[in-house]
Amino acid sequence: MTTATEITDATVREVTEWLFGEAELLDTGKYREWLDLVAEDLSYVVPLRVTREREADTDIVEGMTLMDDDWDSMEMRVLRLETEYAWAEDPPSRSRHFVTNIRVAAGEAEDELAVKSNLLLYRTRGDVATFDILSGERHDVLRRVAGGYRLAKRVVVLDQTTVMTHNLALIM
Amino acid sequence: MLRDELRQILEKGLRDVEADWTVPAAIINDPEMHDAERERVFGRSWVFLAHESEIPERGDYVVRYISEDQFIVCRDEDGEVRGHLNSCRHRGMQVCRAEMGNASHFRCPYHGWTYNNKGSLVGVPAGREAYGNKLDKSLWQLKPVPKLGTYKGLVFGCLDPDAPSLDDYLGDMKFYLDIVLDRSDAGLQVVGAPQRWVVDANWKLGADNFIGDAYHTMMTHRSMVELGLAPPDPKFALYGEHVHTEHGHGLGIIGPPPGIPLPEFLGMPENIVEQLQRRLSPEQVEVFRPVAFIHGTVFPNLSIGNFLMSKDHVSPPTSFLTLRLWHPIGPDKMEIMSFFLVEKEAPDWYKEESYQAYVRTFGISGAFEQDDAENWRSITRVLGAQYAKKMELNYQMGRGVYEPDPDWPGPGKAFPMDYAEANQRNFMEYWMQLMVTDPASHTGNGKVSDEAAAEALARAEA
Ligand code: FES
Ligand SMILES: [Fe+2]
Repeated sequence: MTTATEITDATVREVTEWLFGEAELLDTGKYREWLDLVAEDLSYVVPLRVTREREADTDIVEGMTLMDDDWDSMEMRVLRLETEYAWAEDPPSRSRHFVTNIRVAAGEAEDELAVKSNLLLYRTRGDVATFDILSGERHDVLRRVAGGYRLAKRVVVLDQTTVMTHNLALIM
Repeated sequence: MLRDELRQILEKGLRDVEADWTVPAAIINDPEMHDAERERVFGRSWVFLAHESEIPERGDYVVRYISEDQFIVCRDEDGEVRGHLNSCRHRGMQVCRAEMGNASHFRCPYHGWTYNNKGSLVGVPAGREAYGNKLDKSLWQLKPVPKLGTYKGLVFGCLDPDAPSLDDYLGDMKFYLDIVLDRSDAGLQVVGAPQRWVVDANWKLGADNFIGDAYHTMMTHRSMVELGLAPPDPKFALYGEHVHTEHGHGLGIIGPPPGIPLPEFLGMPENIVEQLQRRLSPEQVEVFRPVAFIHGTVFPNLSIGNFLMSKDHVSPPTSFLTLRLWHPIGPDKMEIMSFFLVEKEAPDWYKEESYQAYVRTFGISGAFEQDDAENWRSITRVLGAQYAKKMELNYQMGRGVYEPDPDWPGPGKAFPMDYAEANQRNFMEYWMQLMVTDPASHTGNGKVSDEAAAEALARAEA
């Protein structure tokens, strides 16, 4: 069901600022505050892709993903970071979310927007002079609530099939 | 040939692992060790390629690796599983450049030589003009993997044509593999495809961890205990049996911590429990009944995890089964391939719960597994340096604490507690034996038989 929600310049600017604000929370480790931006029916999925021939319908694998979270498991990840034992991110990575090519369209429900954006995520850890870069496209559903938006759904389609970072411990 | 310095390190290592229960740090991150390991370990061992359920139909294929060599593992037109070197016999071009798919033929993009999925060369463009029709196509089929074998759905390949059979190679480990692989009539299904990712760590750290390192869970995975995804006892992985077999294989079989009741048979669905009690031997059923965690490694680089774990901090635990391949791509780099498997006949609710428990705790984003990669990266970096390489690493856990368990109903050498390093020593000892055993061209003996390994050990001890 598509509605005739009009996408105004003001809407695009609000969504852009929402995404930039979200990126800032993630890059400054404010995961609790980030959870406040997430809807309770969250679906957060990083599909698994494989190299297929062009004639294949899709390169996205059915039945398996790289990450498949809901609100409870996201809260678990945040709680984990708050223990003294989250070694994968303690000391924390330094990260930078570069969010571009933002495209805003009407969502399936009247109070929702379908937002696509490109993501370049830079990650470096420790004193080693190397870094990881993840590139992908995000497909978000933002739900309008009083005073802003909540992230109801995110699909992050990464561009690598063999992923060049040692874990997906960062929220994309 | 092994350089003398490497040989000395390894021969001393073989003496030390027996006498002092230590292992030379130099085996972890060293380019020359890695070069030697390619031929001496990966050139001789049976290496996991795929699960049969990944290629159920004729023509289905996946591309997989043994060391750097890549093979098309496919089901041919007659339904037989085959492994072809993914390299054209004309100039060596990859004839298949997708990771998976279905094809009756593989056509080389360079000049168009075309092979069927049995590996036979069936088409040579302009054969009349270019070769006068004199090219004997039967001599130029895709190179087969020298040995291919299947055990309970697992497809292995081996580059050494003189290697022992897969059945002999797996030996007593089969008793334990059955408990994981053979619980149901219709068998297991790999769901989707494996996750693949790269970690700056030596592959042996993954193999060593999974074969016996229950001890690390107390510290590394403490966050999971704090949050209630793992049983509420930081020492939860202590309460088990620690078992190894010949050829470097081993595993840990962990039950519930005292006073913390967990469901029998990993809480698997009723229909599977009914089937497994019929399919497995009474000894296997006895071993499996109290299990909450199984972790193990089939030498060299295939590990198994069968765990009872919650998918988040508010849900009850569900079991899941994962296979993972620690694929070496350098002395300090591996690719991890992580597979999720589930019994084909399990009810849908269990398949879904099991998938969620797996993907949220294990694999690339798994909240449990994340912390392992951190350790292995750090170790690899530190042990690549000249002074660090001269250390001995301590493999002395359990020394003088407990003896082999005489009452254990399964084969292999068993210890009554999983805080142990006997499996790890057994793995490293076998690895070092392979490393010091010269290949056929040097000894006139192409087999890394048990005798050759024993000879190498005797030389080392002399
Ligand atoms: S390299 Fe394959 S046809 Fe020439
Ligand atoms: Fe671990």
